[in-house]
Amino acid sequence: MSAAVHRYLLIAITGLPLGAFLVLAVLAWWGRRWAERTISTVVTLAFGLATVSALVLAGVMACGGERVLTVSAGTWSSPGEYRFDLLLVGDRLSISFAVLTALLACIIGVFSQRYLHREPGYLRFYLLLTLFGAGVEVVALAGDLDLLFVGWELAGLTSALLISFFHERRKPVEHALRAFLTYRACDVGLLAAVVWLHHTTGTSTAGGTAGFAAPAATGNAVLIGVLLLWASMGKAAQVPLGGWLPRAMEGPTPSSAIFYGAISVSLGPYLLLRTESIWAGAPAVRIAIGVVGALTVVHVALVGRVQTDIKSALAYASMTQVGLILVEIGLGLRYLALAHLVAHAGLRSVQILRSPSLIHDYHHLERAMNRPLPRTGAHLERLVPGPAQGWLYRYALERGYFDAWLRDHVIGGFVRLVRRADSLDDRWAQRLSAGRAPARTGLADRREAVTAGHGGSPGTRRKGQES
Amino acid sequence: MKATARPMRETTEDRRTDIPDLVARAARLLPEQPPLQAFVHHNTLHAFEHLPFDDAVVHAARLFGTEPFQSEAAFHSCVDSGRIQQEDLDAVIEPMAADDDVPLVPGGPTRRQFHAIRLRFLLEVPRGPALSLLLQETDQRVRFTARLSTRRRTELLRQARRDWTGPTAPEPAARALQEQLLGRLWSHLEKMAPRVQVVERSTPRRRDQILAVTGLDPDELVHPLLIRLSAAFLDQGIAYWPMPGRHRGFLGAFRRLYGRPGGPPDRFLRGLGAELRRQEAESWTAERTVVWALTELDLPERDWADTIQATLLSLRGWAGMMRQFEHRPDRSPVEAHPARLIDYLAVQLILDVYAARHAVAEHLGGHATFADLDRLSAHGEATAAPAEVSLELVYEAFVLAQVMPVDTAVLADAHHATAWLGAVRSCDAIERRRLLHLAYERRHRVGVLDALAAHQRVATRPSPRSRFQAVFCIDEREESLRRHLEEHFPQVETFGYAGFFGVAMTYRGLDEVRARPLCPVGVTSRHLVVEEAVGAANTVRSRRHTVARRRRGAWSRLIAVGGRTVARGSAVTFGVGFTSFFSLIGRCLFPLRFHRCLRRLQHGADAGPVTRLAVERTSAEEHGDGLLRGYSVPEMVDLVSAALRTMGLNPRSLVLIVGHGSSSLNNPHESAHDCGATGGGRGGPNARAFAVMANHAAVRAGLRDRGIDVPESAWFLGAYHNTCDDSMTYYDEDLIPERCRPTADRAKRAVAAACVLAAHERSRRFESAPADLPLSGALTHVETRTVDLGQPRPEYGHATNAACVVGRRSRTRGLFLDRRAFLVSYDPDGDPTGELLTNLLLAAGPVCAGINLEYYFSYVDPAGYGCGTKLPHNIVGLLGVMDGHASDLRTGLPWQMVEIHEPVRLLLIVEAEPERLAAILREHPALSRLVVNGWIQLVAWSPGSGAMHVFRHNAFQPHTPEITEFPVVGRSAQFYAGKRGHLGCAHVMTASEAVSSEAVPSDAVASSGPVASSEAAPSETLSSGAASFSETASSGASGAGNGRASAGELARRAVRIQELP
Repeated sequence: MSAAVHRYLLIAITGLPLGAFLVLAVLAWWGRRWAERTISTVVTLAFGLATVSALVLAGVMACGGERVLTVSAGTWSSPGEYRFDLLLVGDRLSISFAVLTALLACIIGVFSQRYLHREPGYLRFYLLLTLFGAGVEVVALAGDLDLLFVGWELAGLTSALLISFFHERRKPVEHALRAFLTYRACDVGLLAAVVWLHHTTGTSTAGGTAGFAAPAATGNAVLIGVLLLWASMGKAAQVPLGGWLPRAMEGPTPSSAIFYGAISVSLGPYLLLRTESIWAGAPAVRIAIGVVGALTVVHVALVGRVQTDIKSALAYASMTQVGLILVEIGLGLRYLALAHLVAHAGLRSVQILRSPSLIHDYHHLERAMNRPLPRTGAHLERLVPGPAQGWLYRYALERGYFDAWLRDHVIGGFVRLVRRADSLDDRWAQRLSAGRAPARTGLADRREAVTAGHGGSPGTRRKGQES
Repeated sequence: MKATARPMRETTEDRRTDIPDLVARAARLLPEQPPLQAFVHHNTLHAFEHLPFDDAVVHAARLFGTEPFQSEAAFHSCVDSGRIQQEDLDAVIEPMAADDDVPLVPGGPTRRQFHAIRLRFLLEVPRGPALSLLLQETDQRVRFTARLSTRRRTELLRQARRDWTGPTAPEPAARALQEQLLGRLWSHLEKMAPRVQVVERSTPRRRDQILAVTGLDPDELVHPLLIRLSAAFLDQGIAYWPMPGRHRGFLGAFRRLYGRPGGPPDRFLRGLGAELRRQEAESWTAERTVVWALTELDLPERDWADTIQATLLSLRGWAGMMRQFEHRPDRSPVEAHPARLIDYLAVQLILDVYAARHAVAEHLGGHATFADLDRLSAHGEATAAPAEVSLELVYEAFVLAQVMPVDTAVLADAHHATAWLGAVRSCDAIERRRLLHLAYERRHRVGVLDALAAHQRVATRPSPRSRFQAVFCIDEREESLRRHLEEHFPQVETFGYAGFFGVAMTYRGLDEVRARPLCPVGVTSRHLVVEEAVGAANTVRSRRHTVARRRRGAWSRLIAVGGRTVARGSAVTFGVGFTSFFSLIGRCLFPLRFHRCLRRLQHGADAGPVTRLAVERTSAEEHGDGLLRGYSVPEMVDLVSAALRTMGLNPRSLVLIVGHGSSSLNNPHESAHDCGATGGGRGGPNARAFAVMANHAAVRAGLRDRGIDVPESAWFLGAYHNTCDDSMTYYDEDLIPERCRPTADRAKRAVAAACVLAAHERSRRFESAPADLPLSGALTHVETRTVDLGQPRPEYGHATNAACVVGRRSRTRGLFLDRRAFLVSYDPDGDPTGELLTNLLLAAGPVCAGINLEYYFSYVDPAGYGCGTKLPHNIVGLLGVMDGHASDLRTGLPWQMVEIHEPVRLLLIVEAEPERLAAILREHPALSRLVVNGWIQLVAWSPGSGAMHVFRHNAFQPHTPEITEFPVVGRSAQFYAGKRGHLGCAHVMTASEAVSSEAVPSDAVASSGPVASSEAAPSETLSSGAASFSETASSGASGAGNGRASAGELARRAVRIQELP
């Protein structure tokens, strides 16, 4: 088959969802409103065709014996000697992931037509789903880390917006913000890696079967590898950044399924697989990846065991498997990792989609077994000595105290620092404007009022602790 | 808890406050909802039933921050659509007619006229800053409001010209006139507006104070932890590793866990471990801990009650669930943990103490105390909220003075301006919504009552020789099934009886692990009935069946539970991960076909064994669980005779006893769709047990002794109706005697056809069902909903329920009630003393009212009383749902269940004389409370004269019919075809007129086409009959009607004939 067909198929995989999004979004911007069926049909059709394109392309390439297909969809910009190409690469890895994404998005599109029927945010949901799908396809197929970064950001933004889908309540918004901040913090890693890659190798483009060019110096490779690992840790919800994942279960169930069961958490491992050529030469990075994955598995296996709501339990189950995938990547088992990733995405999506039927299923299970379901966790209690059990349980219930550390000691520390600077600022302003009463606006305001009220003899009253 | 056990708490102090008592009092306000498996509908505002409905909803709205009625805008759209009519509005302000001769202000409207205009005038008054903005930035104060009629506008300009003070030489411009008149009007009103102190309603909780003073919410710290702990404690089997030490109770387990050293690093929890260890060492009781915490929070003792109440209400779903476990451990789905509400309160207060201290230290400095908070907030209140003119009131009065026929100059008089403002204030938003609600209910009431009356005039009273009889649950969802059955097979007699059929038993099915009560919530079951496999030939088969099922069970459990762990999880992922794509595609794209395939794979090989219910008690031995094994013959005779006498059922040949339930996927609230009369269970076993009893030879003999003759040829057949997919299951069919088989087969065919028709009728309410859904597609459509993982509306359940008719079916037979009425069979002729009626009302009244009121509240405030939208629901602990990740346990009904509901109070129509009902009310305070306080509307329907009396203002007052039109159709389908919304009542001829049996092909349904294309109504004969009927009626010719009511007679009664759609 001709190269032109290949080219169009490859572009169609990302182009169709993107096109569907643009059509819907632009017309909606102009106040156009459609029937629910029209919206979901457009989106489903786009992803369905993208799936077909990807499958056809995979078939054609397999028959033709081609391993890598590189297509340039144009040039972004070329400042100075640099060129930013819109380069798409189709190889075994990227096409598998592209098929997975398009297929799941298509299925979720069909599913949500019933699930979100009569929901006021119907259009918004589909727009975000489409943009997310398009973003992930860009990540999957990007032959250029700059382009990958764009897709990466789109996926992050849309997933945060979908967490806050029910924005009339407070919690979804808070949790979306948390996910968003985690993403932002980690995206710095990706950005830095891209910049450093440009700096050291002069290009961030994948070339042929070799993949991305690795920097000559091992030190640079390690640095870039670690930055990429950092970038992937946020999306893959690895220790210690994984706190956002169970909290992300705020949107409608189908969005939770595709994002946090399947695609979004897989982006982390995918990034590492994609960029393997860069850090493959640096064993330190391998070890780091393996260690992060293993730590996550240990932590999450414990924490997940005490979760009492089904969506959190499934979120931790996802983290467990993604941690294992990272370990596999660290060990260099890339095909195993890819298979694991795909299988996990399918299984977890089904489980999350089925989660509202849990009570129904539990009854059926009980009736099928014809006895009360056996108690789980007994072997844990046998293995772990008594006092340690309580400690371990509390550790798990408090999710490893990561949240508290993050809130009180990392962010809290920062806030306290700012406050101190603020009161220092006040004091200096007072001293400089000696005599004239300055307008105090700082946070220290209230404290002063209280001190003044006490007439300078403050004292706490904590009876309970004294007795 | 004696003084000696309380070394720190001053032994000298004579403690007046009784903590458990305070907790018990606060606990009444908590949601009454049990774990979801045993969902039972109940009045959401159960705790307020001692108050009149109007007061209760307003009071509760203030307490919970919820809505008392529908919004004014919603009511106004009802006025616009004709759902509320002028007569209704007039009727609800009728009581004001008494003192209505004096206008409010000279020349202005009287109080009644004022209300009449006000109720029709939707004025949205912006609040606070929005109003200031409106007044300052727009021309509201210098231009007439845009919604003036031309006449009123001219009139106002005339007044302005009359009162004009200024140069008259050039005719003052309209603008200037408006400006002057409005300027004056505004200042008059503003001057006289009462000054009100804006009091922010807040509880004495420290948290509210801290939030007001610092903007930091200590609950943000406490709630996540408390939710985690409560969920872990109450969990019924989701967590792989359950919480250790649950046998110690909630407080004990909490102390054990968090009292360990090396506790959580949260700053606000500093010192918690040491404190908990101390409390545990001194073995403090929960009560003492509560006292300690309240003292620690530095709250005066008089505020304790309110603090405890507000604290518990701050996370009321979880608190309520703790209370449910405490009071009804028998209802816990798997394991009843020793929960106590006071333990929960103690834990919450301990955390509150730490969070409050932390917040105060953080924001006011480490040395600040709670007393500082009092000072700061007291200080704040004094300056921030002086007595202010309520701008909202002035604005409302200002606009209304323009709209209403009043002379604006009159308001210059201080006295009149005050009167005007007073009138505006007396008709505030709550009052208007109350009145509009009454009008809304009135229209519905009038519609139903008049239709019932008209139906009596239209319907002839045939006494068909019934081929078989069928008893259904009183459930309003069975109304359509009964009607269609009667339409399709007129030689049937149907009855309605509470769906447990008097068999208040605890039941364990063959497959089931634990027995569960199948009886109304208020009844305690004393009998255990077990399903047993029978027959030697069955054992091998049944064993194979069991083994196969077990294997499947173990497999799905491995995937579900093992899939969440590490090693098994990976194995499962690799093992079934790829195949799950098939499941994903199948479930999402072809839910029904996929489900059927799975079914075939699972059940193809082995059918279940033949079983029997062990209904008869063979030995009198006690088993220690307080339950008798089965029923003795006299008990059975009592039970069966009560049912037969109450319904007035004289068994002839075959009697179907149909229980019901509902099964669906993607529906945590599945059991809310089950039968309310069995306490949220499925009523099939009850029907089966009743049939077994009634077929029992000894029971028949016993019945004969009591004068109830059940002929030898009669046979009772138990059945189960799944209201979600409209399928029927029959029990013990192999026992049907040979002589009854033909009848049974005919009955089953007829019921199956009726199921199709009923499914078609209810599909019209589903927006996703096409408007021209063919009859043949109806069952597939509803079946797909049942098995679809993506379907949040498997069925609409009790939504739209509005009325309950207690009386003979012959008086409602052939009346289209739109699946909105509970139908209770009651034969007044067989009840000279009123004893049967009393029992009926005591059982059915509260059950129906509970269903109705739960729907009312969940609809009126879906987020406050209901549990919001289903989409983000997350099942926790197998007992309830949370919104998303970690929220309060959400109680009430999800929006998807109630969205089509019409929030009216239950209209309970009883076929009895008003005197008899009044006597019953006098004797039964519980029922009387519901009726007198207006939680249900009671109507007495005289069995003889047909006169109706509505219970209002403590007396039965006669109802005068006002609707003269009453549609008559041939078949139900002609009435509902193509319509989605609520329908009124109609007379359906086929069911009520005796049609010769040959005219009704009983299997016509399967072959018919789409209903919307009219002639395709199931039976051709029938629709042509209807067509000819409408012709003769409209031409006014008399005497044409094949022995039915003559058309001329009908026309004289002003019956409008509904043309075929």
